[in-house]
Amino acid sequence: MKITLNGKQIEVNPGEYLLSVIRREGIEIPALCHHDAVEPVGACRLCIVEITRPEWEGWSRLVTSCLYPVEEGLIVETHSKLVSDTRATLLDMQLARCPDAEIIQKWAKEYGIEKTSFPVREDADKCILCDICVRICNAVGRYAIARTSRGIEKVVAVPLELGEDQACIGCLSCAHACPTGAIEWKEDSNTRTIWGLTFTLEKCPVTGEVLGTPQQLDHFAKKAGLSRDYFTKSDKAHKHETAKKFVKII
Amino acid sequence: MSKINEISTPPPAHDFSKLEQILNRYPREEASLIMILQDIQDEYRYLPCDVLIETAKALNLPKSTVFSVGTFYKAFSLQPMGRHNIKVCMGTACHVRGAVMVLEAFQRELGLEHTGTTEDLEFTLETVNCVGACGMAPVVVIDEKYHGEVQPDRVKKMIKKGGK
Ligand code: SF4
Ligand code: FES
Ligand code: FES
Repeated sequence: MKITLNGKQIEVNPGEYLLSVIRREGIEIPALCHHDAVEPVGACRLCIVEITRPEWEGWSRLVTSCLYPVEEGLIVETHSKLVSDTRATLLDMQLARCPDAEIIQKWAKEYGIEKTSFPVREDADKCILCDICVRICNAVGRYAIARTSRGIEKVVAVPLELGEDQACIGCLSCAHACPTGAIEWKEDSNTRTIWGLTFTLEKCPVTGEVLGTPQQLDHFAKKAGLSRDYFTKSDKAHKHETAKKFVKII
Repeated sequence: MSKINEISTPPPAHDFSKLEQILNRYPREEASLIMILQDIQDEYRYLPCDVLIETAKALNLPKSTVFSVGTFYKAFSLQPMGRHNIKVCMGTACHVRGAVMVLEAFQRELGLEHTGTTEDLEFTLETVNCVGACGMAPVVVIDEKYHGEVQPDRVKKMIKKGGK
């Protein structure tokens, strides 16, 4: 299957999304709600591209590349004037929402925006509501966080008030996947705190390395179908043990 | 940053008898969630946290899903609503014909600064934008009953009668 990307004919695989083709070709566009580990949802709209076909007779339209499957003969522009202008407006709005998010600042600058032309959100955090954290948490199998409320009040939250036993296991998957670094967490030598919940940390008895929270290790052992014992030592300790056995054998 | 503290905690109801009946009305599947939440809202006049947890368990849904849906729709409330619901129309027609004064009269009589629920949980005061009865502006809807051409001096009586 062939498409034309920024004037160049290229071979693509049926079923793949435009965004992965664009990235493979080394073209950089912002795609902040995209994460390889989870299904795309098209929340940020920044990955828009302009598409057309010869039979459309000059007519074209904007689509989110992260959600648009390749089609034979499609003509795609990633940086046409329409795309750039629209992307700039989106980034302008994102900057008003999250003025402190470095990745937004970086992209906005690239599209000629140093300062937002919209009123800046009061008490702004760095969350752009891309939904990656929620999708990642669901993929991990915990369903601990969710979008709550709606409209301008919408936030990602843990239903903390809904009872003591929380689904969150303190694994930090959400925080690591967040494109803007919006999810705050902290760790000292014995505890880890995220989403307002504090977990004690389990350490490797051999090397003293932090292994994670007991809840996290329980969950991953169960999910991987491995013995929980395997998760009570660090990789290093495991390697060391294997090496010792190996030495004994020879 | 986790915004957990900014979302109000629905107080528990410590009473699951009504929930039992509600749950029995619908198939135990995700598609029933909104209908069940609507019935909970009707029976408890809000969504109590313990009732939500039980609902999640009964439907085998994550608590976060129930919480997400429960906070999305305006029809649901996380705080107990008053026994009587007063909606003062602030739409254009009502506004022109003195809705602001009507609203102020309700606020004065109920001891509320803005809108919301009185401490004794008798009344919840809300504003709405046009209820489609502009001909009888200013309009106040009390427990589904429409009152037209409401004058501020009638408000006291309306409250006394509990909306009847
Ligand atoms: S916290 Fe981060 S990952 Fe989650 S929705 Fe906000 S920006 Fe996206
Ligand atoms: S990456 Fe496509 S809409 Fe966000
Ligand atoms: S403006 Fe009040 S009923 Fe239309």
